Amino acid sequence: MEKKIIYIRDTDSAQKERINDYFTLFSNELRDANLLEQVQLVKVADIGLYEKGVAVKIIPENIVYSGIKTTDVKEIVEETIRGGKIIKDLLCGKKSKQLRAVLKNCGYIDPESLEDYIAAGGYKALVKVLTEMKPEAVVEELKKSGLRGRGGAGYPTWMKWNFARGMNSPEKYVICNGDEGDPGAYMDRSVLEGDPHSVLEGMIIAGYTIGSTKGYFYIRAEYPLAVERVQKAIDQATSAGLLGNNILGSNFNFELEIRLGAGAFVCGEETSLIASIEGKRGTPHPRPPYPSVKGLWGKPTIINNVETLANIPLLIAGGGTKFASVGTEKSKGTKVFALTGKVKNSGLVEVPMGITLREIVYDIGGGIINNRDIKAIQTGGPSGGVIPQEFLDTPVDYENLGKLGSIMGSGGMIAIDDTDCLVDLAKFYLEFCVDESCGKCAPCRLGGYQLLQILKKISGGNGELEDLNRLKKISYAMQKASLCGLGQSASNPVFSTIRYFEEEYKRHIVDKKCPAGKCKALISFKVISEKCKKCGLCMKNCPANAITGSREAGYIVDSQKCIKCGVCFDVCKFKAVMKE
Amino acid sequence: MKKITKEDIEKVDPSKKDLGKNWIKVGMSTCGVAAGADEVYAALIDEAKKRNIEIDIRKCGCQGACSVEPLVEVNVEGLPKVLYGRVTKDVAVTILERHVRNKKLLHDYIFEIN
Amino acid sequence: MVKKDKLQADLEGLVKKWKDKKGNLIMILHSIENIYGYVPRDTSIKLSRLLDVPLARIYEVITFYNYFKLEPPAKHNVAVCMGTACYLKNAASLIEEIEKILHIKEGQSTKDGMFHLDVVRCLGCCGLAPVMMIDEKVYGKVKKSEIVDILSKYVKEEE
Ligand SMILES: Cc1cc2nc3c(=O)[nH]c(=O)nc-3n(C[C@H](O)[C@H](O)[C@H](O)COP(=O)(O)O)c2cc1C
Ligand code: SF4
Ligand code: SF4
Ligand code: FES
Ligand code: FES
Repeated sequence: MEKKIIYIRDTDSAQKERINDYFTLFSNELRDANLLEQVQLVKVADIGLYEKGVAVKIIPENIVYSGIKTTDVKEIVEETIRGGKIIKDLLCGKKSKQLRAVLKNCGYIDPESLEDYIAAGGYKALVKVLTEMKPEAVVEELKKSGLRGRGGAGYPTWMKWNFARGMNSPEKYVICNGDEGDPGAYMDRSVLEGDPHSVLEGMIIAGYTIGSTKGYFYIRAEYPLAVERVQKAIDQATSAGLLGNNILGSNFNFELEIRLGAGAFVCGEETSLIASIEGKRGTPHPRPPYPSVKGLWGKPTIINNVETLANIPLLIAGGGTKFASVGTEKSKGTKVFALTGKVKNSGLVEVPMGITLREIVYDIGGGIINNRDIKAIQTGGPSGGVIPQEFLDTPVDYENLGKLGSIMGSGGMIAIDDTDCLVDLAKFYLEFCVDESCGKCAPCRLGGYQLLQILKKISGGNGELEDLNRLKKISYAMQKASLCGLGQSASNPVFSTIRYFEEEYKRHIVDKKCPAGKCKALISFKVISEKCKKCGLCMKNCPANAITGSREAGYIVDSQKCIKCGVCFDVCKFKAVMKE
Repeated sequence: MKKITKEDIEKVDPSKKDLGKNWIKVGMSTCGVAAGADEVYAALIDEAKKRNIEIDIRKCGCQGACSVEPLVEVNVEGLPKVLYGRVTKDVAVTILERHVRNKKLLHDYIFEIN
Repeated sequence: MVKKDKLQADLEGLVKKWKDKKGNLIMILHSIENIYGYVPRDTSIKLSRLLDVPLARIYEVITFYNYFKLEPPAKHNVAVCMGTACYLKNAASLIEEIEKILHIKEGQSTKDGMFHLDVVRCLGCCGLAPVMMIDEKVYGKVKKSEIVDILSKYVKEEE
């Protein structure tokens, strides 16, 4: 018999000891069947299934059984391990929900090696473009593919490129937007660090298509490793003749240079980004003129997001039609998300467009930490919105997320559970936008500030019902009248939290309570005397000496002295401190 | 570096890409390094030499399971390709001895995600 | 003051290296910031002469971007991430703890010039939230109770 491996894992998070019983059971059965030599039994830390009982995976056949009972063990060993038969009842229809396309090289090749990239099929798309495709044909392929910008707005990439291509100018520029300003998202960093050549290849193809000879990487200075790897990739490509003059023997010339961001979120916006590369303050300009007409140094320029560019080689090598076979009607291909927040397995995931939010959070992310209830998903960062739990079955694409009042954004996806307060979350995002507003236009500069003051008032316990209308009015004005995307979308988190969680706002305003226990001014701590075991730990730990009492009389919290640090709540082993 | 030609690129068949039979890869992006991947990488190289274990040890980018970094992927002939998470220096040594030398997988560190 | 003399020589080299490139100011400032940890006023004045741009233009840029500082840095820079992922994992309590231990508020330095506390937005390691960074070293999944130990490591190093 061929050597086998059994992975074993208890996928129920509540059970701690059970796995050892199963492990022993399996070992015993294997020993009795005299199979210990041929079979390795391995306890694994994650088997890709969640809350499905005890699961095993049998390798090399890749058979996955879940919900195994102790009585099944013998049968598995006899039938499947020895007999090679599949037990249908135990079979778990597990399919990988991820589809690694853009990330296919990330974590696979050595990002600092050009040879590795080429050995994985890299630069084939460039060869194809240079030898057999006219710029028009590249645009045509992009059009067929239906690729849309991954930087947020989802503008069709072919249109952008076609505009710039059509401009009659001896000087044109290609810019890669690696500013990744959304706090809590890092897809672009991972691509730049894990597979820099794919983005380079995308840029060179872009240069060829629009007729440009110079491109810039704009990368935020907070990503030193990404900068280092991209610089290395540029150097390698240059000395290998993939950048420079007469690339691969053609008469096409192209060079690349890195420019660093300097900690300004608004510089992710394309007109500010251009100002920043020009060495100026990164303040936006009204559009039109669009960069594809008048961009860097007044010349036609295309700006694309890192992930958009990383999609290009893939799309050219495989053809637009193949690219378009994945996804929904209007959103094609895959999307990379940085899945974080209260999800168990936070990390980088790449999924086909059209997958549901639930699949992402539960099947890939493993559900919510401590099996709490999910309350909402936030996408699009400070420009996005929240999607409440009842819409988890929505297929993810640009249109659907837009309809729900959020945006696809660049790929931040944050799971929010019932311990998170949405008023506080809106406040958090707004603080960010107020900090980052460049101040050029009044609706954003003043409106953002006012919104923040009102939110502070509400979370501080001084809100009035009229404030909700004020919030809506100011939000609306900002959306309509701000100069750039930052101001236009800064109120989205407020808008969407009010839209779905108005009740939660009202609890803050009317009842002066924060249901999630987050807004400090609205919570109080209390010792529940029925549960209190009079151990005195809370009193000892209270930094404000706000807890008084004795082992005989019990303990109470003096609300006048309490600074709401929550230490008593944390230290009490008997859950006798109540937060409300 | 020598110039690369069209033919160099065209003749590659990525489906035949062969990293070799025995290798270890350490995820070394920012978050990997933050979690200690550089120490793990250094430990693997040192210890492999010290213990006379022959294996190709390389760096790579993000493998996706960012919350259980440092991540180490191991491929040894005759065993499935395995992704280990939460790898420390000690675990790295165990990987070399137990997995690479003795062809036994480690308990409790394998992450089979998707 | 050796370092400074060296930089002044460098400054000319730097300007030479970037002189022909358009929009070079920010990249030059990055190099200066990397050496000093901030952009000293006399350097800006020199730069203004070498590049032949008004001092006001240089200050206009420095003050716009958060990355450039006008004050000399403390010995160790403590940066706590308050990006969304870290915010949800209660990074605020880390900041409170550090403020309590060091008796400073965010944006301030300790009197002995040992630590400076900064609040930053996303260090790109959200999977490890909450995250903080001291100088170049990133600490992931930080617990409030670990902070004293982490900080005291740096103090001990000095002794
Ligand atoms: C305030 C603001 C911040 C932005 N930040 C980013 C960013 O960090 N990365 C990015 O790729 N696009 C960002 N964008 C979108 C860009 O302006 C631009 O639409 C995008 O880079 C175009 O690339 P794409 O068509 O490939 O998506 C931002 C937009 C605004 C308004
Ligand atoms: S909307 Fe805000 S960030 Fe944009 S230009 Fe106006 S003030 Fe500046
Ligand atoms: S820690 Fe809990 S059990 Fe102990 S005295 Fe305080 S409230 Fe009572
Ligand atoms: S960047 Fe670390 S595994 Fe994702
Ligand atoms: S939000 Fe803190 S590292 Fe990204």
